[in-house]
Amino acid sequence: MDLFLPQTIEEAVGLLAQHEGARCISGGATLVAMMNAGLVEPSALISLRQIPGLAGISREPDGSVRIGAMTRHVDTATSKVFKDGQCVVPRAAVRIANRVVRNMGTMGGSISFADPAADYLAALTAAGAAIEIASPRGKRTLPVSGFVTDWYTTALASDEIVTSISVPAMPAGSIGHYEKLARVSGDFAIVSIAIIARFESDICSFLRVAVGGCGPAPLRLREAEVVLEGSRLNASLIGEAGRMLVAISDPVDDVRASGEYRRKVLPRLLAKALIQIQQTQHAEVA
Amino acid sequence: MSRPRLVELCVNGTQRAVRASSEQTLLEVLRDELHLTGPKRGCNQGVCGACTVLIDDQPVRSCLSLAVLTENRPITTVEGLARGKSLTALQQSIIDCGAVQCGFCTGGLLMVAHALLADNPHPTSDEVRAALSGNLCRCSGYVKIVEAVCRANEGSLP
Repeated sequence: MDLFLPQTIEEAVGLLAQHEGARCISGGATLVAMMNAGLVEPSALISLRQIPGLAGISREPDGSVRIGAMTRHVDTATSKVFKDGQCVVPRAAVRIANRVVRNMGTMGGSISFADPAADYLAALTAAGAAIEIASPRGKRTLPVSGFVTDWYTTALASDEIVTSISVPAMPAGSIGHYEKLARVSGDFAIVSIAIIARFESDICSFLRVAVGGCGPAPLRLREAEVVLEGSRLNASLIGEAGRMLVAISDPVDDVRASGEYRRKVLPRLLAKALIQIQQTQHAEVA
Repeated sequence: MSRPRLVELCVNGTQRAVRASSEQTLLEVLRDELHLTGPKRGCNQGVCGACTVLIDDQPVRSCLSLAVLTENRPITTVEGLARGKSLTALQQSIIDCGAVQCGFCTGGLLMVAHALLADNPHPTSDEVRAALSGNLCRCSGYVKIVEAVCRANEGSLP
């Protein structure tokens, strides 16, 4: 197996186009684990480590935050660049595995693997992020909903790589929160809820919710958000929104939990997340 | 398997030339080529933490690192912590607190705790538990390990 260390994005996607069955390697946290388990056997590895500008987080003039694909989870988790509801992204990052794995794994690597139980995709869905992709034919941008096409499957062609992720500005005063139910600290999620919300005198004036772990891609349903927006939240409204999300869910039975359990937990986790975010907002106002 | 090539690794302050193929992990090369058996092969999936080493002073899983990609970056294994027979305060504290049972996890957790103490010499037990949450110990229940890390720098209170 050959290993390449391209110096530019153009060179990297050129190598992907030339070598059928090649895989890009960024932090190795997922790919090397898969190789160790004998689940993938790349014909060649293309390390993105030496390409300048692929790592790092920056704030753009329009208030959006650009995260380079090679940015490690630890750097996303500790970044102060995110503002308002954008903070859902670092709050998800800090829940990935443990500090040692966060020193290795990258956002581009994580989302390209598209594990439905991993943490970023739900947060990026709630935040309305755009995924920037390069290939020998040029660049394109996809929303998360267009990026994940099936279980562990993305819209990436074999010669495409994710170069960055762009998180748009969120309303002033909005808060981002990530609620994760896992068997133990650091495990993948059984169910996760990413929320961006703003409350004005107890009225929910802005809401974005995405659910992880309950289907091939994060669930987001505008109709469920509309049930809660403009209202003082109560158990019956939250229950209604939760039921709408359950209705579009497609959870599997796996080693972590049954699909039935996930459907049961989803609305409760939503309620917990909404209570948590209201308390955070009260604490920030007080 | 690709043909192995010569790789220059900087391990515990010494430059070592080893033969490694592209898919070989740093853990394999450390153990099988350099005979540094402090890093253990537990899960080989990045979960158990027994293989943890420092690269550029940061703890990483050697089982998830490809050896060729660690070329010329400073690597520290548990063998590189002590200076000759002089143990670090952390190592001594692990002994004093009786924090080793079978010892399989000890090499990895020492590396994580070493990095934690470099940033935060007097961590609270909650900070220690959070830092060590990626290191599985199946013997001890962690009580003595957490105590040992908390007390490592007791002699130099702030």
